[in-house]
Amino acid sequence: MTFASCRHVAGAVLGVMALLTGTVAQAGQAVEAAVPSAIGYQPRDADERGLWMEMEEAERELRNSNFVVHDPALNAYVKGVLCRTVGEMRCSAARIYIVRTPYFNASMAPNGMMQVWTGLLLRTRNEAQLAAVLGHEFGHFEKRHSLRLFREVRSKTDAMAWLSFLPYGVGLLAQLGTLGSIFSFSRDMEREADVESIAYLTSGGYTPGQASAIWAQLRDEQDATAAERKVRSRKDKNGGFFASHPNSGERMLYLAALASSATAATRTGDAEYRDAMALWWAPLIDDQIKLNDFGATEFLLGRLAGSGWTSELLYARGELYRTRGGDGDFAKAAGFYRDAIALGSTLPEARRGLGLALLRTGAIEQGRTMLKDYVKLKPDAGDRAMMAMLAGGI
Amino acid sequence: MLRVLATPLLAALVMFAAPAHAQAEKSASKSGFSLPATGPVKIVVFRPDVHVGEQSTGGLNEPNADWTAEARKQIGIALEKAQKSKSNDLVLMPELEGEQGVLLADYRSLFKTVTNAVLVHKLFPGNRLPTKKETFNWTLGSGTSQLAQISGGDYGLFIYTYDSYGSAGRKAAQLVGAMFGVGISSGVHTGYAGLVDLKTGELVWINADAQMGGDVRDAVGADKRVSQLLEDFPTRAGTAVTAAQ
Amino acid sequence: MAREQPITVAKSSLTVKPTNDWNRWSRRPSKKGELWTLDGLNLNELTFFAGVVSGEALYKERNKKDKPLPKFDPKMLAPDIVQMFEASNRIILETSLFEIDSVEPAKLGGHDGVHFTYHYTIQADEVRRKGDARAAIVDGKLYLINFVAPAIHYYDASIAEVRAIMDNASI
Repeated sequence: MTFASCRHVAGAVLGVMALLTGTVAQAGQAVEAAVPSAIGYQPRDADERGLWMEMEEAERELRNSNFVVHDPALNAYVKGVLCRTVGEMRCSAARIYIVRTPYFNASMAPNGMMQVWTGLLLRTRNEAQLAAVLGHEFGHFEKRHSLRLFREVRSKTDAMAWLSFLPYGVGLLAQLGTLGSIFSFSRDMEREADVESIAYLTSGGYTPGQASAIWAQLRDEQDATAAERKVRSRKDKNGGFFASHPNSGERMLYLAALASSATAATRTGDAEYRDAMALWWAPLIDDQIKLNDFGATEFLLGRLAGSGWTSELLYARGELYRTRGGDGDFAKAAGFYRDAIALGSTLPEARRGLGLALLRTGAIEQGRTMLKDYVKLKPDAGDRAMMAMLAGGI
Repeated sequence: MLRVLATPLLAALVMFAAPAHAQAEKSASKSGFSLPATGPVKIVVFRPDVHVGEQSTGGLNEPNADWTAEARKQIGIALEKAQKSKSNDLVLMPELEGEQGVLLADYRSLFKTVTNAVLVHKLFPGNRLPTKKETFNWTLGSGTSQLAQISGGDYGLFIYTYDSYGSAGRKAAQLVGAMFGVGISSGVHTGYAGLVDLKTGELVWINADAQMGGDVRDAVGADKRVSQLLEDFPTRAGTAVTAAQ
Repeated sequence: MAREQPITVAKSSLTVKPTNDWNRWSRRPSKKGELWTLDGLNLNELTFFAGVVSGEALYKERNKKDKPLPKFDPKMLAPDIVQMFEASNRIILETSLFEIDSVEPAKLGGHDGVHFTYHYTIQADEVRRKGDARAAIVDGKLYLINFVAPAIHYYDASIAEVRAIMDNASI
């Protein structure tokens, strides 16, 4: 199962529904040999063996995928957060794959294969938030929700097949009802996993309120997207009758309520998270900018700049505005690039961006000067020939 | 590219059982191709894609690990027998690591893509390309010679089979459906196989079947399945030639 | 399609002369586009866009509300066209593994324009593809010819002819 209802499926690699199982580990409870995270756990019946096998084939392909991020430091960090959250003994049952895709999601398959999408890493703000997601996923795994959902779907689709023989109107309504109940079952399991994530957060020493914060942030981001596009926010276009997950607003509220009655714990790990992600901001923000979603990107950059606009963030903001290229955007972009350079940015691309923005505002001479700087700073750039020409010939 | 086509036909083969009356199997081969008349012919089998499950009443496939493991074993044995009877030597492509592993993965992906093109643009109706009507010429490029070097094979054989056996419930639903005049298919059995000349990269033969027979979970069934998969498999020059294309 | 004959594409004045037997695809990528292939769209794809106007997207938008594509602006500089192409493809193909390799000035139909190369992979098939494109803005409208093929064999097999087609195109 996935963390969010996301239609951006990670390709044919996951042929079968990626299924999560929930973990209901109360702090202090001993791990029985019957849970999937136990060492030497073997799938117990034909259904479970079948699912594991399909997942093993899928994992074979995932291992070779071009989209898996292999950076050892980042992988070690995410694994470390998982282990802190669910415990050293349990976390060895999971194999984490960080997948390069700009969308927000994570998943865990019944055989322990966990995926974390880079779009999610761009949106979780601190270690506690990442821990909440990992804990939720692991929860599904421990509770073998995948298996339960699979059995539920099977028995209900069986029922639907029989119902389809009833006279037209009655049969159809009954079918819709059954179908709805499948999704309702799925939503119940998501709620269970959410409950688990709170337990995991507190046992890992993390601030439990951070689980709810993820949804508040996502909803705000969706509002930002809509505002810029001058359309209605889609933050509540989820969690309906046929949704696999509860509405995000509902999740935000019950997670907050659960957190307030949970044992107080205080680690959020802001600094640790920022350090771990330091080398990844640039490429992930680049992926995000290229999604053509100005509102969301501006929102995310603004939040990342909470503790101050760094030169990297200012450069990114310049790229964002220049890419949109609407009225006044080029002038604003030029301002951001200049600020980035003033703050000490050595990125040749900052000069490139400034040069191009200036050309579009009509400041031809200044633009050309900047592009000449770019070419000097990056003589082996792939677009050197083009930039040299735009600079007036070098 | 894929953004223009609705779904790759491969996926369609898996998801939908062909209606009984439609032509379910197609094969094609490089015109006039045959294996050398004498001398050893070494065929490398890439790890077959085998999926066996049971189709629930509601049409859901339940993957079955035991059946799949058994099928993989039986298909392996049947393939070996079939190729021996054609006097070809069969070897399994070993599991590769590192750069070689990446090379193998890249070629497996490319093979699937080429197969997709053949199914969509030649074998099955709807999107046929005019230039491919009379000819059959597809290739993976001569880089496959690297795979020949690693494996020692002259030809590469790719196999894919997918089975979802109709459960008792599904079969019962089929009967009831017939009573109500509603057609319900039971069971999905699809597969394809392709042979690549590893020296040149040319696809010399391909066979696709959306309605395969033979119960792959036992030896007799696997034999039947493999013989269907290898329908019109290239013969040695000089032996009786079956109808090409 | 007849070889060595000039062919107008995309219902416009863009005219090209193929030397190989390309097939014209029945479905179009957009109102202003046309697709050709030799062996199948996922093996070699040659696309022609002609007369894209201000405010228009390069490709047909499948999901205007949630995944709008960037729109053409006649005031765009060459790097802006490349950016628009990259973002459009990233969105349509749903991939983050897309890199522009080179960008240089070039002519299309005798007009000043840009030539750029790139590579990408999509998750659905994990096949690494290479691309080559030429574009120019003429009378405020965008003309673009794009060729994409798997890096293994297919790109190299056709790139020479494709570049010749681009060199000899007339608008």
